[in-house]
Amino acid sequence: MATAAEYLRAGLQETVDDFLRLFASVYFAVSLFATWGFFTLIGVVVEQGKTQDFYWANYAPPLARLILRLDLDNIYHSAAYVGVIALILTSLAVCTFKRVIPARLPPLRAVAIDRIPLHATIPLEGDEREIRTRIEQFFKSSGWFVRKRELGGEEWTFADRHNWARRGVLVAHIGFVIIAAGTTWYWARGFSGETAILTGTTATIPQTGAQIKLDRFSYRFDPIQTKAGLVYQPIDYVSHVEYVGKDGVARAATIRVNHPLDIDGTLYYQAAYGFGAQFVLTKDGHVTANSPTDLLKEGDAFSVGGDRALEYDQFVGTVDPKTGRPTADPRPNNPAVVVSMIAGDTKLASGLIPIGASIDLGDGYRLGVPHYRVYTGIQYRYDPGMALVGIGAFVLLTGLCIAFYFLPARLYVKLTGAGRDWSLGVAATTVKGYEVFEDQFRELVVALRRATKRGDTNACN
Amino acid sequence: MQLDQILLAIAIAAYVTGTLVLLTYFLSRSELMLRIGAPLAIVGCVAQFAELGARWATSGIWPLTNLYGSLSLFSAMGVLIFLIFAFRYRFWFAGGFVLLIAAIALGYATTWNEGFMPPVPALQSYWIKIHVPLVVSSYAAFMLSFVVSVLYLIKYYGEQRFARGSAMKAAAATPAGSIPVTVRSSYAALAEDDIVIGTPRGDTPGIAAAAESGSAGAQWLATLPSLAKLDVMIYRVIGVGLPLLTIGIITGAMWAKESWGAYWQWDPKETAALVSWIVYASYMHLHTRNAWRGVRSAWISVFGFATIMFCYLGVNIWISGLHSYKV
Repeated sequence: MATAAEYLRAGLQETVDDFLRLFASVYFAVSLFATWGFFTLIGVVVEQGKTQDFYWANYAPPLARLILRLDLDNIYHSAAYVGVIALILTSLAVCTFKRVIPARLPPLRAVAIDRIPLHATIPLEGDEREIRTRIEQFFKSSGWFVRKRELGGEEWTFADRHNWARRGVLVAHIGFVIIAAGTTWYWARGFSGETAILTGTTATIPQTGAQIKLDRFSYRFDPIQTKAGLVYQPIDYVSHVEYVGKDGVARAATIRVNHPLDIDGTLYYQAAYGFGAQFVLTKDGHVTANSPTDLLKEGDAFSVGGDRALEYDQFVGTVDPKTGRPTADPRPNNPAVVVSMIAGDTKLASGLIPIGASIDLGDGYRLGVPHYRVYTGIQYRYDPGMALVGIGAFVLLTGLCIAFYFLPARLYVKLTGAGRDWSLGVAATTVKGYEVFEDQFRELVVALRRATKRGDTNACN
Repeated sequence: MQLDQILLAIAIAAYVTGTLVLLTYFLSRSELMLRIGAPLAIVGCVAQFAELGARWATSGIWPLTNLYGSLSLFSAMGVLIFLIFAFRYRFWFAGGFVLLIAAIALGYATTWNEGFMPPVPALQSYWIKIHVPLVVSSYAAFMLSFVVSVLYLIKYYGEQRFARGSAMKAAAATPAGSIPVTVRSSYAALAEDDIVIGTPRGDTPGIAAAAESGSAGAQWLATLPSLAKLDVMIYRVIGVGLPLLTIGIITGAMWAKESWGAYWQWDPKETAALVSWIVYASYMHLHTRNAWRGVRSAWISVFGFATIMFCYLGVNIWISGLHSYKV
């Protein structure tokens, strides 16, 4: 009589079997792919990581509500998205162990040659031993791996090619796993961050203690006449820095786009630049208490009392002296800043303040911008999994190339007859169906006939 | 007129003429048309590569830093991949459509030609000479698979129509709705010289019957390769495009790592490329199942190319992101 424990064990086994069957299914994997693709597409179409106001302002209200309620504004980091990727990795792992690894060569067995779609029969005359030798030589010289078996009293020849390529999918799956391991290692042990460094100031990186001082930031824009008009094409951004790493020695270096600086294994990237502006708020000629002491960067704001604040919107490189309007030239030739008065989340008014000048805000208040200073935006990242990701990518590609460009095929060859009249039967199977091997099989049969009739063993693939 | 403009004019002229000639070949199967059309395709392709080279030599600026350059490469690579397949697998029937798309792409590219622009700092990297050609080549391969998929679908639905017509004529008790079509070849043992060899029987009996009874449409459809052969061709072309796209995404990630510090930024272009990769990876997985080979696979290929076009042009033109320099 079965005990409760046995029932439980049987039930558990059934559940596990169902789980493995489901996750090893190609259709389930493709369903997950489709879900992953759909979620990813949403992320392409719906702008990501914006404020709620952005969606209300830029989308129809029902759509904005849908986006915000379903977290479609941050879909790549949502539980659903991460969950689908986790399911795909699980499916990949189960599929690898349940389908890919157990896939062995079919056994060497006798077949009904004329029942296999790709088959041919070649009449031959001659001595049996000589014909068999020619057949074997032909396949060997054509790069086939030949084995002979006595099955049911008849001699069969089996020729295999590219059987190792059956492992291509396994290699590709291993590549994915290595990439996943590399990125996981980064999550576990790596770090990243960003910092803005004003010219002449020093930033300390909290995770490493490295110090970076910005000596100078240089940029180059070339005015270029295009069919659409004059454009100022950015050519170069360079941070000239002095850094101190673990060894305590100060060194000079430059950080350019595409040319990160390596300090003790952490890479520092040229990510952005901007103009810090000094704002001075006065009332009746006296600096107010809420006038900022530090330079503000684009997007920073300071309170002017109540719910009102002044926000530094944008730096304008060149203002046309004749019109007083900003020009397309980003180089600071006649610079100014755009400032907005905001109340809560509402922008009340905006204005342009030339550097070195001030504007009247009313009630005796004046806002001035005496000077500005360039700053550089540096991103940094320590990624110990980088090499693993590179290896994984290489393995993945190798697996794909093996799976796509090498066709494992088997030939079943049997010689029947007596005396000097013989009939050579050949049939072919491949792991990708028959149509894909049709032309090659025809060429192979023609070459085989030539070789077995004339003794010509020239290779033919 | 500068050399690159002369070469561009030659390429456009060769593609337009080649389109007309190879479409005539497609309709008439006249070998003369093929003998004229194939060299035109080669001339256009060579002229385009020469034009890109001339632009590089003249300006010293890598020509694939804008949409003009990448669309030029797209059409040139599309024709090149087509030519390779055409010579290898007797693929010429698709040539008129490939050259038509190449001509349209090249014509559209000229509207984005802003002259010689030095690259922005993010594009000043050796990776641009690796990543962009790989990705654009994959798009070109998928264009070819799209063309063959459309031809597959035309033949498939043509077979349905003719099979239905034959069934009605024979007053057979055929239920309403679609007539099942045998997608995979069935083979029969046929004597060829002194060999008896398994030979595929036609997988479009409806078209064959209608062609015999004199239907011009059916006679034309019958000249296309069998559905099974078209399916294999689609598979082979995607087998070129998918590894190229994979290497393209990987090299893009490596470039992003060098430029921005992270392999992946969830930029619209990156994610759109991921969507395309997922679609074609699904195609490859489903193609291992007999039930999904054929018409379903062909539709996935068509859908895949739609995602490619969205990734290539839609994202570049309509959605701003880290790839907003329109390559």
